[in-house]
Amino acid sequence: MTAIFIWARRFAAYRALTELLARSPLARLALISIIPLAWIVLANLAPLVQMFVISFYQTYPLAEGAAPEFTTRHYFAFFERPLYLSAFARSFIFATLVTALTLAVMFPVAYYIAKVAPRMRRVRLLLLVIAPFWISEIIRSFAWMLMLSNRGAVNSFFSFLGYSGPPFELLYNNISLTIGVLYLTSLYMLLPLYSALEKIDDRLLEAAADLGATGFSRFTRIILPLARDGILTGCTLVFLLVVGLYAMPVLLGGPSNTLFASTIGQIFGRAGDSWPLGSAFSMILIFVALAYVGVFMAVLQKRPGRRT
Amino acid sequence: MMRLLGRIALPVYFWLFVAWLFVPLFVMAAMGFRDSNFVAFPIQSWTTDWYRSVIEDREIMASLWVSLQVAVLSTVMGLGIGTPMAFMVARFDGVWRAVLIAIIVMPAFIPIVVSAIALRMFIGNFGIDTGILAIAFGHAVSSVPFVVVMLLTRLNSMSANLADAARDLGADEFIVFFRVVLPYLAPALFGALMFCMLLSFEDFTRSFFLGSFDPTFPVLLFARLRFGFDPGLAAISTLVLLVTIVLGLYAERFTRKRAAPGHQGRLAARGDDTNA
Repeated sequence: MTAIFIWARRFAAYRALTELLARSPLARLALISIIPLAWIVLANLAPLVQMFVISFYQTYPLAEGAAPEFTTRHYFAFFERPLYLSAFARSFIFATLVTALTLAVMFPVAYYIAKVAPRMRRVRLLLLVIAPFWISEIIRSFAWMLMLSNRGAVNSFFSFLGYSGPPFELLYNNISLTIGVLYLTSLYMLLPLYSALEKIDDRLLEAAADLGATGFSRFTRIILPLARDGILTGCTLVFLLVVGLYAMPVLLGGPSNTLFASTIGQIFGRAGDSWPLGSAFSMILIFVALAYVGVFMAVLQKRPGRRT
Repeated sequence: MMRLLGRIALPVYFWLFVAWLFVPLFVMAAMGFRDSNFVAFPIQSWTTDWYRSVIEDREIMASLWVSLQVAVLSTVMGLGIGTPMAFMVARFDGVWRAVLIAIIVMPAFIPIVVSAIALRMFIGNFGIDTGILAIAFGHAVSSVPFVVVMLLTRLNSMSANLADAARDLGADEFIVFFRVVLPYLAPALFGALMFCMLLSFEDFTRSFFLGSFDPTFPVLLFARLRFGFDPGLAAISTLVLLVTIVLGLYAERFTRKRAAPGHQGRLAARGDDTNA
């Protein structure tokens, strides 16, 4: 491969370019930055900015040659239908509960891998737990449908144990949705928790024990404060993931508990000029979700005992 | 008390959690062998017909082909953009670096539905239709942040001496880049490549909103599941799952072994092996 570049040196332009690059760090930076900067603008920023603008349009797409008319009515539409408000509230309550549940379920798992399991086995235990997360969300939903349906594995297990009543209604309700979503979110909680817990020096815990701290006070006074960053990252990731879930609530949830992400998806699926309305709702979701997470983080980080 | 908790309760809890993760997958695998048109337990008679029938199912095979094309295309885009982006970030320090990284990882913090739809509207400006290209673009948008972070970790460990030595020996900037820097990054690049492939292959939401009439595999599975399920779907899901897990484990192992070069890295890699 080097031969190509040696060959290219015959050309004055190539020589000039390489000399410029060798001399000037600025030129190197410019060459390497053109594409990434264009991507950041086009892929990360522009679509959201456009969505923000469209949310104020009367209609979109615009008629040929027509100037856009601006309005805020799509934002007010959000407050006019109880259907929207209830889906929105349900999304936030559900996401908050699932985040708390995921934290409660995953903390012992992360703690076991990071602190209790033999050091040599940690990586393999971690891999074991991570492996199912490479599988598609849809396949994982399907697996839980097979577990929880009326003639599914769980109900069969109960009748095998001698239970003969009507099957438990486990699928298409909040039970199945919560289990399925927990299956999806646990990794996003595990990794930040693990990396935070793993960094805690064991000698701190031993010192505390020598000085007479009970297990409970070691947990609340040492482990929790030192794991705080991991907990916050994990909760943020999980919360934002759950708020944006689209497929799993459709597959595992019941018809009566629509979440706001599904509402947005349906608005865009609707015929007619529903895009400005959907854009406005998307903006509401983004801003409220980020504000919610931001307030949550600010409150928790102000508590005393913060590591500096 | 605490020792009892550590010795017994925590391991038991951990293995229960592992069971909770894997039992549904085994149940699904078993269901694919059930000799009946309906999904139910217990499984009394077994068959491999479902596996044969899904392999002959044109629609499923077509969707897997679409998924593969999307995965390859989005991986090329993700690495092609993410690699120079990592170099760019590596040249900044302090506040600017933090700001850059914040903007770059932003897509990971936008609710997926919203970012998928925003992209859907945005590509309309350029006359790009929904379909394979659009989905690949959407997947690349979500994978670039991860590529950048993975490559940056590796770049930070690279000594400037390597490139300087090459320059002293007469290499121009292009040779330095292609013969010194890229090979050094190779393990991280491979990890990022596998990550992009898996992320693309498993994605539903972006494929759903950016796709046209040729569905990717998760989108097709979603559509079929809404109208009920049969053992055939369990069979194909199991096959896809096996491929994904094997690829994922392989990638993880590969990157872990190559991640830390030199004495310590080799020791660490050997430590893992004797332990395996």
